Amino acid sequence: MTEKKLTVALAGNANVGKSVLFNRLTGLHQHIGNWPGKTVEKAEGTLHFKGYTIDIIDLPGIYSLSTFSIEELVSREYIAVERPDLVINVVDASVLERNLFFTLQLMELETPMVMALNQTDMATKKGIMIDHEKLQELLCIPVIPTVAITGTGIYELLERSVETIEKGGTKPPETRYGEEVEERIRKIAKLIERIQFRYPARWAAIKLLEGDEQVEKEIREINPEILSTAERLAKEIEKIHGHSCSTVITCERYEVAGKIAREVQQIVPRIRPQIRDRLHALTTHKIWGYPIMAILILSIFYSIFTFGNYTSGLSNDFFYGWKPVFETVFGTGIAGELTWGAMEGIIAGVTVALPYIIPFYFILYLLEDSGYLSRIAFLMDTFMHKIGLHGKAFIPVMLGFGCKVPACLGCRIMETQRERLLTGFVVTLVPCAATTAIILGLVGASLGFQWAFALYIIDLAIILLLGRVAFKTFPGEPTALIMEMNDYRVPQLKTVLSQTWFRLKEFIKVAFPLIIVGSLAIKFIGALGLLEPIANVLSPVTVAWLGLPAVAGIALIFGIFRKELTVIMLMTLLGETGFTQFTNPSNPVPIVVFTLVTMLYIPCIATIAALTKEFGWKKALFITVFEVFFAIAVGGITRRLLMLVL
Amino acid sequence: MERRRGMEKAELPLTALRGGESGIITSIKTGHGGRGRGRRGWGFKKRLMDMGLTLGTRVTVVKSAPFHGPLEVSVRGSRLALGRGMAERIFVETTK
Repeated sequence: MTEKKLTVALAGNANVGKSVLFNRLTGLHQHIGNWPGKTVEKAEGTLHFKGYTIDIIDLPGIYSLSTFSIEELVSREYIAVERPDLVINVVDASVLERNLFFTLQLMELETPMVMALNQTDMATKKGIMIDHEKLQELLCIPVIPTVAITGTGIYELLERSVETIEKGGTKPPETRYGEEVEERIRKIAKLIERIQFRYPARWAAIKLLEGDEQVEKEIREINPEILSTAERLAKEIEKIHGHSCSTVITCERYEVAGKIAREVQQIVPRIRPQIRDRLHALTTHKIWGYPIMAILILSIFYSIFTFGNYTSGLSNDFFYGWKPVFETVFGTGIAGELTWGAMEGIIAGVTVALPYIIPFYFILYLLEDSGYLSRIAFLMDTFMHKIGLHGKAFIPVMLGFGCKVPACLGCRIMETQRERLLTGFVVTLVPCAATTAIILGLVGASLGFQWAFALYIIDLAIILLLGRVAFKTFPGEPTALIMEMNDYRVPQLKTVLSQTWFRLKEFIKVAFPLIIVGSLAIKFIGALGLLEPIANVLSPVTVAWLGLPAVAGIALIFGIFRKELTVIMLMTLLGETGFTQFTNPSNPVPIVVFTLVTMLYIPCIATIAALTKEFGWKKALFITVFEVFFAIAVGGITRRLLMLVL
Repeated sequence: MERRRGMEKAELPLTALRGGESGIITSIKTGHGGRGRGRRGWGFKKRLMDMGLTLGTRVTVVKSAPFHGPLEVSVRGSRLALGRGMAERIFVETTK
């Protein structure tokens, strides 16, 4: 017997426990990818229940169904156009009113739905009691109280969901706006009913009054007259109320949400502040917040590096132990060299990247799940404004100090495309772990700590400068922080682990092919004897302008694949005596210039891949080319300045 | 438009409130003179309202971050962080 198939989407605000519920429902049968053509995450999973195969889609956490962010667009398009059999609206019981604002919008999309009234335990702790039966009555949709973390109510939620689908969906009442608005919504809806439109007529009418750019565009293509009528009617509303039509509609919708919330909830405020509230006050405190954050971040980085260093060395020894076996199988000729080259790429990925990336992701999602990341964004907002971004951008920038690949992918937390690109650009300039290793290993070891520190300062100054320039040059709206700081909670190991696992898969998919290709290319160039000609071609830049040895050009090319290769290659190419001469502290200029160029000249190839994935190849290419020229310019100028001073 | 109230009430930007003080939102000023829909500042005004900061709503300033940092506000039972630039454009009425 073949099972009947159903599609159910989870929709709701951010931080309502949606992903916990998703994990509860689907376990390990899930797949995380992107929405076609969009850099928005799509999490899908399946489960079997009472003879049905249910496909669960976890929609992004959003507050509205307008066009403010790509997530909102993706969600509403999915619900209205793909028409899942059911939408489970996940609601945070402790912030009922705002969640209901979203519920009302889902209802306007005329989708069959049930509500999972989640985190009822947290609500109770905050002194909020909700009469869910009354809520069910008012909304005319099934309301099931759940605690996703413990699994309470999940079975009933599924049961009621299937029941609802079998009964042929739900027919919730329309949200009634004020008479002036309502009358005009009906007029427009009537016009839209006559044309074939992919969204429900009433919903589209409301969106036209709100001035929704996307709906306007689509309607204009079908029948521009409807649009001009809507614009005229919107003006009338604006005249009556003295506010923009979108303001009026949003306010009235919130009024409805507020009225329902007041009817169903009883709040007994807690007199003694709870531990989570005290923790919040402490971690966002104007004095204590900063040292706590600094200590936390530094100790995280320190432990990741210690752990990574140890496991990296261990696994490296293990893999290189296999080299003789490899050589007996493939020989030591060109074929053997090339296969070993590919193998070395994989080893590099496994031993250099993974020991750092895995704990890195794990701790990141631990912090995210606990709610601490939003506190960091709150504390760092002022600082990030100096480079034209807001507090949230600090998260990807912080990631960039570890590895730029997750940092680029992490730019998605920014709301608009412009902010994502600006953040991505800043991220490529941040010294990642490999760059830090070069700065410390080359400059720190030969010239002393103060030089390494100076280079860091220079890099930060450059980030500040270029960030500001980019902020001024890129067209679009300036940015501001509008962010919810949800209550602290104990992170869920299962959720954190599954997030880490899916991120890791994404990282491997983006970075590994290129690391392998890179290693192969290096072997290939070496085998063909092309190293010297390339060095000669580059010598006007490397020797004449930057004052480096000619072989530095080769080292820098290798650095495209992996930054730490620049130093290793330089060492090999110069030979022991040459390298000792190069790092002679009596002439610090070449080392400083070389390190500075390495630091700035290109995001490594895996980062370029991540940039391409997030922003398209044109923007990735632009950033890359710009940074190459910029690094060469800065390197040459620094050389001349240093020669004047020293 | 909002100035017809009596003398005992003061209209202030949200940033003028001290920690613990609250007010009723009277207006949110957008970037360039409110030329209506789809223009500069529209998106962020919409966002603010979507998060519950609608006209006529009571909002409480919990605290503000140092060095002209963002504000922590409490509205409709939720806790929000608002960039200072944004908060300066939200006007509230307080009863003195």
